[in-house]
Amino acid sequence: MRVPVEWLNEYVETGESVEELADKLTMAGLEVEEIVSTDNEETVHSGGVPDEVDSRVMLTKVTPNRGDWLSLIGVAREVAAFTKSPVKIPQPEAPDVPPSSASEIKITIKDPDLCDRYTGVVVRNVTVKDSPAWMKNRLIRAGMRPINNIVDITNYVMLEMGQPLHAFDYSLLDGKEVIVRRADAGEKLTTLDGVERELGHDMLVIADKYRAVGLAGVMGGFDSEVKPDTKNILIESAHFNPVSIRRTSKKLGIVTESSYRFERSVDVGMADLAAKRAAELMRDLAGGEIAEGIVDLYPAKDNISKVTVRPDRVNAMLDTSLSAQEMVSLLEVYQIPATLEDEGIVVTVPTFRPDIRLEADVIEEVARAYGYENIGSTLPPAPFQGKDSDMGLFVQELRRTLMSSGMQEVLTHSLIDHNSIRIAGQEDSIFVRNQLSWETAGMRTMIAPNLLRVIVRNQATGIRDMSVYEIGKVYRWLEKDKTVTEWLSVAGAMVGNQWSSAWNLNKEAMAADFYLIKGVVENIFDRLKISDVKFERTEHPMLHPTRAAKITAGNVEIGIIGEVAPEVVNELDIKGHPYIFELSVELLKSLVPEKIIYEHLPKFPALYRHLAAVVNRDVPYGDIRRAVFEAGGAILEDMSLLDVYVGPHVSEDEQSLTLSIVFRSKERTLKDEEINAVLENIKDNLASKFKAVFRG
Amino acid sequence: MIEFNTITDLVKESSGRIEAAKSTKELDEIEVEYLGRKGRLTQLLRTVGALPPEQRPLFGSRVNEAKSELEAKASDRRNRLAAEETELRIKAESIDVTLPGRLYKTGRPHILVDTMMRIKNIFIGMGYEVVESPEIESYHYNFEALNYPEEHPAMDEQMSFYVTDRDTHDAHSTYLLRTQTTASHKRVYEKRKPPFRICTMGKCYRYEAVDATHGHTFHQVDCFTVGENITFADLKGTLDHFCREMFGPDAKTRFRPDFFPFVEPGAEIAVSIGGGRWLELGGAGMIHPNELANCGMDPKIYSGFAFGLGIDRMPMIEHRIDDLRLFMEDDLRFLSQF
Repeated sequence: MRVPVEWLNEYVETGESVEELADKLTMAGLEVEEIVSTDNEETVHSGGVPDEVDSRVMLTKVTPNRGDWLSLIGVAREVAAFTKSPVKIPQPEAPDVPPSSASEIKITIKDPDLCDRYTGVVVRNVTVKDSPAWMKNRLIRAGMRPINNIVDITNYVMLEMGQPLHAFDYSLLDGKEVIVRRADAGEKLTTLDGVERELGHDMLVIADKYRAVGLAGVMGGFDSEVKPDTKNILIESAHFNPVSIRRTSKKLGIVTESSYRFERSVDVGMADLAAKRAAELMRDLAGGEIAEGIVDLYPAKDNISKVTVRPDRVNAMLDTSLSAQEMVSLLEVYQIPATLEDEGIVVTVPTFRPDIRLEADVIEEVARAYGYENIGSTLPPAPFQGKDSDMGLFVQELRRTLMSSGMQEVLTHSLIDHNSIRIAGQEDSIFVRNQLSWETAGMRTMIAPNLLRVIVRNQATGIRDMSVYEIGKVYRWLEKDKTVTEWLSVAGAMVGNQWSSAWNLNKEAMAADFYLIKGVVENIFDRLKISDVKFERTEHPMLHPTRAAKITAGNVEIGIIGEVAPEVVNELDIKGHPYIFELSVELLKSLVPEKIIYEHLPKFPALYRHLAAVVNRDVPYGDIRRAVFEAGGAILEDMSLLDVYVGPHVSEDEQSLTLSIVFRSKERTLKDEEINAVLENIKDNLASKFKAVFRG
Repeated sequence: MIEFNTITDLVKESSGRIEAAKSTKELDEIEVEYLGRKGRLTQLLRTVGALPPEQRPLFGSRVNEAKSELEAKASDRRNRLAAEETELRIKAESIDVTLPGRLYKTGRPHILVDTMMRIKNIFIGMGYEVVESPEIESYHYNFEALNYPEEHPAMDEQMSFYVTDRDTHDAHSTYLLRTQTTASHKRVYEKRKPPFRICTMGKCYRYEAVDATHGHTFHQVDCFTVGENITFADLKGTLDHFCREMFGPDAKTRFRPDFFPFVEPGAEIAVSIGGGRWLELGGAGMIHPNELANCGMDPKIYSGFAFGLGIDRMPMIEHRIDDLRLFMEDDLRFLSQF
């Protein structure tokens, strides 16, 4: 809210320094975000008049529980708590001119659950004209535009007391009657802004004998609006149910100064005072005659709420040692009446503080008055073992492994655009119902498309060579359970040269390719001791049709790897050939052996044999490897691929694989004859399965 | 005495050749020629039978002396030659040490992820157990359980992205992107009995326009402690300690009243480093008795505190980063600065 300092001074002494005032209010919970000044030029531009008054305005940020701070008197009460000066609330004189409002108008509250109080005052023979300069200027500083004296007065009193008011053209109310009732379903009302609205039965209206003339607490009706020739006014000062007002305001999409205040809280006890105040101002500034007495229907009059507070609990919560009497005195600072009774401190909740409902609310008031800064700073006793979650620890290990493989960690959005969702090709994506922009269409089902976007963005800055990874959540809709699911995923992407500097290696040896990124993935399995991992040809919408693999461990498919499909590369406009992988972190974690048992170091030497097998190029190396192990028996310890030869020494559709096979026994040193026999078995197996022939 | 002269001649001749040898390889050949099993000096011993018996011992010892002398000379020459050869090889192997190293790319952590790890470790050190928590959350856990009345203006500060329709009005089957990590509270209460200290962190979402200091996605850490005799002073002490660990011994904290439906008294915590201006870190307070009761705990017995801190703010404060968006744009020129 905009709080003009000069205006505030009318109700309380604010002290010398506005900065200090702002600081104290902030520390009391009413945050002053900024102090601004409105100069005369702005004032004139907004319809005001140049003046010499203090033009500083405090911009406050009011928390949703403190509707009372949306008025100058509410702010003044807070100021009074630390300046110890009295709050001067205007006391309007009693209206003095007959006839009485009661004989002029009949008011009925049909739905008292939605209307706690309704007061009305009739003012006759007003002259609608401009407000005086001082009122215009105050309204402008408070952020409102002057309209005419009648409307300005309702706004002025609202800003002063927090009570939204409405001025009806009394002569336009049929039957001289006001009925506060729920709207009929489908009932129509044209509001002040000229829009015809269709109302629902859960909305509260102000009606005359025949039809709705205003949307209670939200906006007045167009037909009964004050016009330049209006003579007679009915001032409405009422109190409506905040939930009902909020629902109506949301449903119709209208937020007004009035609805904003009613949603938060309006002092039900001040309705009559505000009505009189407005009437008095209309008499003084518009030459009106106030009808004697006000009509005041107050069904909630006897709803006085009391809260009992245990002084021990206050001290236990705040770690203070205040006496009950001291607590009562602290509450008095905020004009919260409290007495000491047998059961503890009994607080009578003032009508301007409906947010106080429970003991905890009173404890906060004591703490505020005592000063948060005066409460101690201790540490709770520490019998707890702090620890990371199992998943957290696992993720740390994974991060270390990926970074040691040269990958830069990145962090991308989970809420992504439609295209990125489509690229991943998942049908069970989760979409946002209320998109903020095209960039927030829904949730990612994979991280890899985001990494490709990272590559594109960085290529635009001139960086060509990249290797990035992310560990984060991915999300899917589970149609059969009609629910959502999410899990951690890890993805990596590479493009370009993978060496920071390698001027003496040839270019091909440095570029990212399928086998380089596969090496990163194999590193993960190696580090995590996950064995029995298979890479098998697969198809995936993101991947190159003949350069894609699914990764399985045991019988579980845990992810994919491959070169990015040419059409995706084109669509995203990526330079070069990017490679990606993506694995489920949850599945990876489930495959990690629980406990590692030490294996004795070998006592006998290993023997190595090389084997050059010439096979058709279509034979996958993985199959050859499996066949070698099949035939190798117990003494085959390991094998590795040394070289793949394609060239004039073999025929065009063939390649020669040089295998290094390691033999070892746990019991003895192996003899050449044993190894040669096993090697023959291996050759036979390869020959029969793949028509392999052997060179050298 | 011809044989004796032969020894002297051979010594003289071979000494000259040893000295003239150009390489260890040539020296090896000379050694074989004179001193080898079939070498010329060795062969002389075979002629000893032609001498009178009294001369034979003297001849034998003269040959052996000559062998030793030559061996010493050859060894000396060999050492000198080896030194020269090493020197030559080293000269030939000279490289330019200022050329760049052959370096495989180094992986670096993301500054924000690293910050999260630091935060986690501080709280673990204070006895907190870290739990994982979902980002797509039900209306119930995100709001209802946290004492948010359905039609309360406090909801205006928690504008949410909904992923299912809100028509059903069933708070358990209405899903949204969590607006605060505090949404994890009731999930924890359902599985544990106090006392406990729990920490959770991760992405949160608000339906908010993006600018330099606001994003629709941000990161938060939520900690809460429930037990008997937990006080507001404990809350202050915990956050004081955290801020000193996170921002250094110069960090000062400021607590002022603020409002969040799930705490009462509620506070905003701000930090100032080395006398700088106050920067808001997040919200805190004593857990609201309604939240405790909603979650099956007797607020007469138990009390607790909770706080939620914005993570993105922390490296911004520490490294003077002025635009929040940098964290998730992943510009490598930015990331490689940390």
